[in-house]
Amino acid sequence: MILWISLALFMTFLMMIVLFRDLLYSAVALALASVTLSVVLFLFKANIAAVFELSVCAGLITVLFVSTISLTKNSDQKIESRVPAAFLPFVLVLLLAIDVGLTVWLAREMLPAGQAGGTLTSFKEVFWTTRATDIWGQVSLVLVGVFGILAIFRVAPGRKDHE
Amino acid sequence: MNEEIKMLLFCGLLAFMLGLYLLLSHRNLIRIILGVEVLSKGITLILLAAGQARGAIPFIQSLVVTFIIVETVLAAVMLGLIVLVYKTHGSLDIRLLSKLKG
Repeated sequence: MILWISLALFMTFLMMIVLFRDLLYSAVALALASVTLSVVLFLFKANIAAVFELSVCAGLITVLFVSTISLTKNSDQKIESRVPAAFLPFVLVLLLAIDVGLTVWLAREMLPAGQAGGTLTSFKEVFWTTRATDIWGQVSLVLVGVFGILAIFRVAPGRKDHE
Repeated sequence: MNEEIKMLLFCGLLAFMLGLYLLLSHRNLIRIILGVEVLSKGITLILLAAGQARGAIPFIQSLVVTFIIVETVLAAVMLGLIVLVYKTHGSLDIRLLSKLKG
C-alpha cells in the first residue's frame, strides 16, 4: 500500500515539475520527488541507495538548483513558450500509450527469467569487491566536478570578477 | 510481486519520457537540467525494477549509488556553466546562445 502511494506521489511531483511555470516551485517539486523515490528504494530494501537519494538528490541538488535560480533571478523565465503547456495533454496521452506498450514488452522479457543474479551477496561485497573499479570512477568523477567548478569560477589575476 | 515490478517499470518509463519531453520542449537552460534530473529519476526506477526482477538488489544498489554520483556531478557542473552563461549573455534562453556557431 505504501509503495502505491509513494509511486502515485512520485508521479504527481514529476507532473508538477513539468506544469509549474516558476522554476523555484519546480525545484522544490524535484526535491519532493526525490524524497518519495527514496521511500520506494527503502521499501525494496535498497537502504544505502535510499540514503544517497535522500541526502544527495533531495538535499544537495535542490540547494544547487535554488542557488542557481537565485543567482539568475532576472533571467528570461517569462519568454518561455506557452506551446509546450498547450500540447501537454496530447503528448501525455501519446507518452502513456508508448509507456504501456513498453512496460508490457519489458515485463514479458524480464519476469520469466526470475532466477537469482546474486541474491546471496551483500551490498558491501558487491560494492567493495565485485564492482571495486566503480569506486575509482566515482573518485575521478568527483574530482572532475571539483576541478570543473574551479575552472568555471576561476578569476583571472588582476580582475575582480567576470565581465 | 510481479505487479510491483510492472508498476515500477511503468512509472520509470513514464518519468523517463517526461524528462525527455522537458528536454525537448523548453528553452530555459535551468528547465533543461531539470529535465535531465527527471530523466535520471526514471532510470533509477527502471534499474530498481530490473534488480527486483532478477533478485539482485545489492548489485543494483551499487549501480544506483554510482549513478547518483554521476547525476550530482553533472548537475553541479551544468548549473555552474549556467551561472557563467547568465553572467556573459544576461539570458538563459538557449536560442540566444549562438556565439559558438561555426
